[in-house]
Amino acid sequence: MEEISDRLNPGITPEFDPKTMRSTKPGLKRLFITSSVLFSFLLGVPFLWKSVEIYRSPLPFHDIDSLSDQLESTPLRFPCNFHAVFVGFRSTDPDNLRSQIQDGINQLTHQSSQCGSCDFSLSVTVQNREDQCSDTLAHSSTTCSYRCGVIKRNGFSVGLDDTVDESLNDVFSGCSENSGKMYSVVVVNKENANGGDEVKAVVGKRRHAWIVGNGLEERYGDIVARVSEIFVQVFMNGGREEDSIQGEFMPVGSDGKIVLSFSLLNSNPRDWVYDWDFQRIDEALLAPVTKALAPIANITVESQVLYHTPKSSFSSWDKKLQSYIFRTSDLPFFVNSNEWHLDTSAGASGRSKILQFVVYIPSGKECPLLLQLPNVEISKTNGFISPMWGGVIVWNPGNCDKDSESPSRNTISLQDLEQIVEIFLGQFRQLFGFKSEAKYTTGLGTYKILTSERGFTEWELDVLSRKHTCFNLHSCSTTLGSLSRLVRSLPRMIIKDEIGEQVKYSLKAAKLAQSNASLGGYSSSASSSREARSLAENAFFHPSIMSVSYFSYEHCFAVYSPFFLPVVGHVVLAAVREWKRYKQEKAKYLTWLTRKKTT
Amino acid sequence: MASLLRSLILLLIVQSFLVAIAFGSKEVEEFSEALLLKPLPDRKVLAHFHFENRAPPSNSHGRHHHLFPKAISQLVQKFRVKEMELSFTQGRWNHEHWGGFDPLSSMNAKPVGVELWAVFDVPQSQVDTSWKNLTHALSGLFCASINFLESSTSYAAPTWGFGPNSDKLRYGSLPREAVCTENLTPWLKLLPCRDKDGISALMNRPSVYRGFYHSQRLHLSTVESGQEGLGSGIVLEQTLTVVLQPETTSVESNMQPSWSLSSLFGRQVVGRCVLAKSSNVYLQLEGLLGYESKNVDTEIEAHQLWKNAEFELSLKPERVIRESCSFLFIFDIDKSSDSEPFDLGLTWKRPSKWSCQQAPLHSSRFLMGSGNERGAIAILLKATESQEKLSGRDLTNGQCTIKANIFQIFPWYIKVYYHTLQIFVDQQQKTDSEVLKKINVSPSTDKVSSGMMEMMLELPCEVKSVAISIEYDKGFLHIDEYPPDANQGFDIPSALISFPDHHASLDFQEELSNSPLLSSLKEKSLVRSYTEVLLVPLTTPDFSMPYNVITITCTIFALYFGSLLNVLRRRIGEEERFLKSQAGKKTGGLKQLLSRITAKIRGRPIEAPSSSEAESSVLSSKLILKIILVAGAAAAWQYFSTDE
Repeated sequence: MEEISDRLNPGITPEFDPKTMRSTKPGLKRLFITSSVLFSFLLGVPFLWKSVEIYRSPLPFHDIDSLSDQLESTPLRFPCNFHAVFVGFRSTDPDNLRSQIQDGINQLTHQSSQCGSCDFSLSVTVQNREDQCSDTLAHSSTTCSYRCGVIKRNGFSVGLDDTVDESLNDVFSGCSENSGKMYSVVVVNKENANGGDEVKAVVGKRRHAWIVGNGLEERYGDIVARVSEIFVQVFMNGGREEDSIQGEFMPVGSDGKIVLSFSLLNSNPRDWVYDWDFQRIDEALLAPVTKALAPIANITVESQVLYHTPKSSFSSWDKKLQSYIFRTSDLPFFVNSNEWHLDTSAGASGRSKILQFVVYIPSGKECPLLLQLPNVEISKTNGFISPMWGGVIVWNPGNCDKDSESPSRNTISLQDLEQIVEIFLGQFRQLFGFKSEAKYTTGLGTYKILTSERGFTEWELDVLSRKHTCFNLHSCSTTLGSLSRLVRSLPRMIIKDEIGEQVKYSLKAAKLAQSNASLGGYSSSASSSREARSLAENAFFHPSIMSVSYFSYEHCFAVYSPFFLPVVGHVVLAAVREWKRYKQEKAKYLTWLTRKKTT
Repeated sequence: MASLLRSLILLLIVQSFLVAIAFGSKEVEEFSEALLLKPLPDRKVLAHFHFENRAPPSNSHGRHHHLFPKAISQLVQKFRVKEMELSFTQGRWNHEHWGGFDPLSSMNAKPVGVELWAVFDVPQSQVDTSWKNLTHALSGLFCASINFLESSTSYAAPTWGFGPNSDKLRYGSLPREAVCTENLTPWLKLLPCRDKDGISALMNRPSVYRGFYHSQRLHLSTVESGQEGLGSGIVLEQTLTVVLQPETTSVESNMQPSWSLSSLFGRQVVGRCVLAKSSNVYLQLEGLLGYESKNVDTEIEAHQLWKNAEFELSLKPERVIRESCSFLFIFDIDKSSDSEPFDLGLTWKRPSKWSCQQAPLHSSRFLMGSGNERGAIAILLKATESQEKLSGRDLTNGQCTIKANIFQIFPWYIKVYYHTLQIFVDQQQKTDSEVLKKINVSPSTDKVSSGMMEMMLELPCEVKSVAISIEYDKGFLHIDEYPPDANQGFDIPSALISFPDHHASLDFQEELSNSPLLSSLKEKSLVRSYTEVLLVPLTTPDFSMPYNVITITCTIFALYFGSLLNVLRRRIGEEERFLKSQAGKKTGGLKQLLSRITAKIRGRPIEAPSSSEAESSVLSSKLILKIILVAGAAAAWQYFSTDE
């Protein structure tokens, strides 16, 4: 247009200069075309961005962070009801007693306010000789109340601890367990003139303990200290030592399964071959244990017999003991992972924990083989544990002399097997952090602990579920935390919906476990915490997370730049030129207009 | 308290003991080992190790074991395996010289690489899942890439052409799997004595893997107990077949080499595995038939067989058993000790020659055609010499016929045209109906499943040769599907030729002790032979091609787009005017030069254009700007790439 006008215009006015002026409005067509192309390109950029974007399921980062913060700031506590009954005390004020015990407990728990401990409420009953009671109940008073006069002083005769335990259970059986478990300590003042000064303290199989003695009223402060010690050290912490295996090393697989793999190792079958009937042991002795531990872990038991499995450490002959000796310093080298093919369990799929329990039968060259402790004594169990791995027992055959050329084939007798299983149970308890002996000694005295045929007493199982819940929640939160850190650090990682859902459900289960714990549901919180941990691990170890996308930024750039770099150059340049030209032409037109006006 | 616990435990034990007694005494797990040695006609020696482990029917399988490997039992339990065979083979069985019609060859001549087949005891819909899980478990157990059999393109479900007829059977093979010690060690781990003691102590790795052929096999089958509420028993059979070349010192070329166990393996047997129920060594000698056929009946003469004019054994055999065409010397290694190891030797005194029994037809397979586009696979069956002597002919309709089953798996990238199947009998083309009795074809689907062909041929007994050919097109693989060594070519698994009417077995004339090896040899087994593995070269792309293609297409697109945009915003009239004015001014370097030249020629002074200098300065500044821009982009790119 302008070209035509340019050509037509020159003659109109004499001062018209075609270099600096124009008489028509500059056209917008080309500017419009180029700018629309540029705009469509700019509009297309988000779409392209979207199309090369990889799929990432949104993870609840905030919830993950808040879970870990919450677990760190407020350790998980379970409600526990402590009940102390003082029988045969003449004139003791229950309120005074209660405050003293409370102080004692606070003093003891102050040192270790760890996760999985008790949020306790204490109630004290004092029953005097005439079987009259005065109570002080806790603030959150339970429906469980001790009926006065049920406990008789003469019921606590010496030597019948099991019956006492049963009778105490009957006394407190009416307790509802809506809000936490109920633990009770009964202190019986006998006041037998002829009795000695002896004070007997027993912890039962259930959730009761009792202290029986003469003249307890005189040793009032001592008794209060012991009662609070029972509450804290036994019922709350399970008699664990602080420096023993920590709760973080709970030998439970992340899918909540434990495989107990029992192996009988004949180190040299040419000398003798021993076999066992483990199936019977499994049915008779291990089944109750696995059943008792069911809320904590799903336990399966396997056994095998292996041959030609020498140990890899050396032992020396001791003349005095007439036997071969291996020392505790040899223990790290005892397990021969080259020759002991223990780990052939296809049944333990995924992330189950396998605990190996090994019975080692020494060969003729090293029989009898004994473990010497650092204090030069010989170990009674002749075995050792390796935390998170399992335990080893050296079992010496009755007769170490090789009688004939041909190897004898024997079966381990039931009595021996029973002893072996007892040691196993002890080792198993140790792996869970409990003491293997039935005694608990503190500075104040010794407590006798009744053992259960199920391997674990009820209060021990309570401790385990508390610790286990706590451990699971911790592990869940750390796993989710590292997952979220990983996801945030790798922006080009594909995250499937499945992972997002697992994380969501894991958080949900963790929440549920926390609320159950605060309500005192031990087994329900243990099981939901187990679920939370297993889901978190599933999300973290999801196979798709391993394949980081190789469609990196460099790749993206290399693929798209041959097209977009030249094209964008063209488009932008064209738009810029047209814009410049338009401005120039417009200026020309404006000067023409002003010229026209002036003229 | 402890005593109370103990008494309680005792009570429980006694109780369960009584219960166990009430249920009746149990069978126990049994293990037995055996070694069969056999001199071969082509101056080699075959050693066949045989281990059998039996677990009686029990409900505690996978949980409590004494001798039986727990891992295998758990495998059977977890994947509901009814029968399974896994073999690792290196080398090819020489059917002509090493025998093609005896139970040893029909059971232990396996295709190169890994072969796995399994029958499951699960509903039909779960068979494939079980197979996939099983391959993964086995690959972990045996340190092999058996998990490659997981993909549906690498296995097939044979119906009748393979052997065991079951619709829950899956078969797959990996011809390229390299077999070595790392596969043997986990295999040995399943034996109670491993290679520490007994016959398996002979397995010196260098000598085993130096051999011409070695095949390590694991066969397991479940035995139904028949009792209600009782699980099934498991029989695990492990064999290792090696063909070794004894080092010969004799100068005579036609003399068979003499050997002993220590010269073959470099080791000796110092005693039996104490856990084995029986551990025997057998020596099978063929070709003594003509020599001894007259006077072998009495036992004394049979015992004198071990030292005669032809050969001499270093040890006296316990027993000698006569088979229809061979002798079996039985040795018990019980008597050996550390001081007096068991070292069986065979010394030949006279040149001796014999031949092995052959399968009715000798099979081979090859590729035809050239180029990277199409080809043909041919299977050639040739009659062997021993064919006339064989029994097992089917005399239906008064005609003597031989039946042969051919089972073949084609990978999907070998696109077979089944209509091009041609069968030539004695060089004459036959129609399908004449020789083909049964055929079952399952075509392959691209990238989903492999093709499978099973066919049953019925051939006249006097047949000399049969050739089967089938044409195929080579497919294109996706760039991701090529293996790292794509130029090596692709393997087509061996075809299996079996003869359903022919069964091989050793026919012992005496009643045998219950040795598992002998009873397995005595069982009738289907005569079968595997063909060669074929190597098909496929067109391999230039793997940088995608980027080249991307770059070229993008550049073309960019050029097109740029020129289109330029055309759109072009002002033709203005340009013409501009050109005209330029022509008047004679600007531009070349034009200036031209005008100068013409001026010189014409002898006229040059009219210097006024605007040209200004324009050139603009041009140079633009050029500098462009160079700076490019340099800046390069520097930015460099920075960006090094930063990563």
